[in-house]
Amino acid sequence: MRAPFYHLAGVEARYRDKTALMVDELALHGGQLNVVAGLNGCGKSTLLNVLAFLMQPTQGVVKFSGKRVRWDRAQLRELRQSVTLVHQEPFLFRGSVASNVSYGAKARGISGYALQERVRKSLELVGLSGFESRNANRLSGGEARRVALARALACDPEVILLDEPIAYVDELSTKIIESLLVASVDRGVLVVVSSHDPTLGVRLNARTIRLQQGRLVQDSEAQEMYAIQSPEGSVYAIL
Amino acid sequence: MGPFTQSAGTAFRLIFSADREVFAAVWTSVSTAGWSTLIASLFGLPIGMAIGLSDFPLKRLTVILLNSLMAMPTVVLGLLIFGLLSRQGVLGVLGLLFTPKAIIVGQSLLAIPIIANYSLSAVRAADARILPTALTLGASTVQSFTQLTNEIRFGIMAAVIAGFGRVISEVGVAMMLGGNIRWYTRTMTTAIALETSKGEFAFGLALGIVLMLISFSINVGLSFMQEEQQP
Repeated sequence: MRAPFYHLAGVEARYRDKTALMVDELALHGGQLNVVAGLNGCGKSTLLNVLAFLMQPTQGVVKFSGKRVRWDRAQLRELRQSVTLVHQEPFLFRGSVASNVSYGAKARGISGYALQERVRKSLELVGLSGFESRNANRLSGGEARRVALARALACDPEVILLDEPIAYVDELSTKIIESLLVASVDRGVLVVVSSHDPTLGVRLNARTIRLQQGRLVQDSEAQEMYAIQSPEGSVYAIL
Repeated sequence: MGPFTQSAGTAFRLIFSADREVFAAVWTSVSTAGWSTLIASLFGLPIGMAIGLSDFPLKRLTVILLNSLMAMPTVVLGLLIFGLLSRQGVLGVLGLLFTPKAIIVGQSLLAIPIIANYSLSAVRAADARILPTALTLGASTVQSFTQLTNEIRFGIMAAVIAGFGRVISEVGVAMMLGGNIRWYTRTMTTAIALETSKGEFAFGLALGIVLMLISFSINVGLSFMQEEQQP
């Protein structure tokens, strides 16, 4: 297995007086699917925010691609170009579906035909071909989630973080989202998904990281059998 | 025909015959209010947005102060600036008193707290996910704030319209700093006050009708913006 994308050591995150997250050690690798499981308020979203470089831990060291995160503005901009976070209830900007999907790619300097192609392909992947000119604020909940996922995929990131991507989503959207996550992992992308669903880790054949009251209490490591089976050499883990 | 109906008829004749004096006052009002709103927006919008987005120890007090400044009597503001711009004042050397520029200075200061407050409200009402979403999609800080501004553009426009509405209808600053000089600093409001005191009710009414039409249009625009701002 390659060097970890993320290495967290002694990380603690607090909201005022309340400790929201305590992780002694955690390594996350590229081409790996991780499910962060736990009850409401157990620290799943906090972990994702730390991994998305949106929240600086109060203590501890976060390394990304071997480099220590300094949490200064210049480095954060660079790091955030490698990662995208899809929120539990994703926010779609005013305007068309195409303007939403192209947002992150544009921020990465993609323009013209290449940008159009990314938008088209990303929408095709989430089963929303032809939705380019639709008003983003008039989509159903499931469509909005898929547009948010297309927006993340159009960035072509090294890491995709998803906060409860299949909560309150119809069966079709769930299938599309799950298959896209697996496909992304096969392309070497590190995927971290938070979920209430206790069966998701098993269903996706994923490594499961279980949090309880902000503490990492259980971590299932890679299942070697799957690693042998995968033609791309991707490594999955199962609880 | 009663005296009011007679005056109203004369007022409409003045408006539709494009009476030069009526339109000179309308133009002075609109141009000074336009410039004041522009200048106040340049200061008020960043102030309101900065307060809305940041967290600092005296934030609550600052918001209270900003709210209080909205209720500042225009005559008192006019008086304070008069003191600064008069010959003996600190800025007397600029020779601005009794010029349209003096009115613009006063009206800008009047509109800044209004525009700042409205933009602060727009930022507070904005969806908290806008900035994190933009940041996590790789946008720079500037790009993220641009996106936020785009998302709350109707609130921002409402702030500007409210500022314009306030300054075009005020009389204290225009009277004290402009001096109500015919063909030069006479605005609609100062002309209404003067002409009515002279017994020229029809002239005052003609300006009143124009002023009401402008204010009414502004309020319609403001209501439209506020509705658009709703999710």
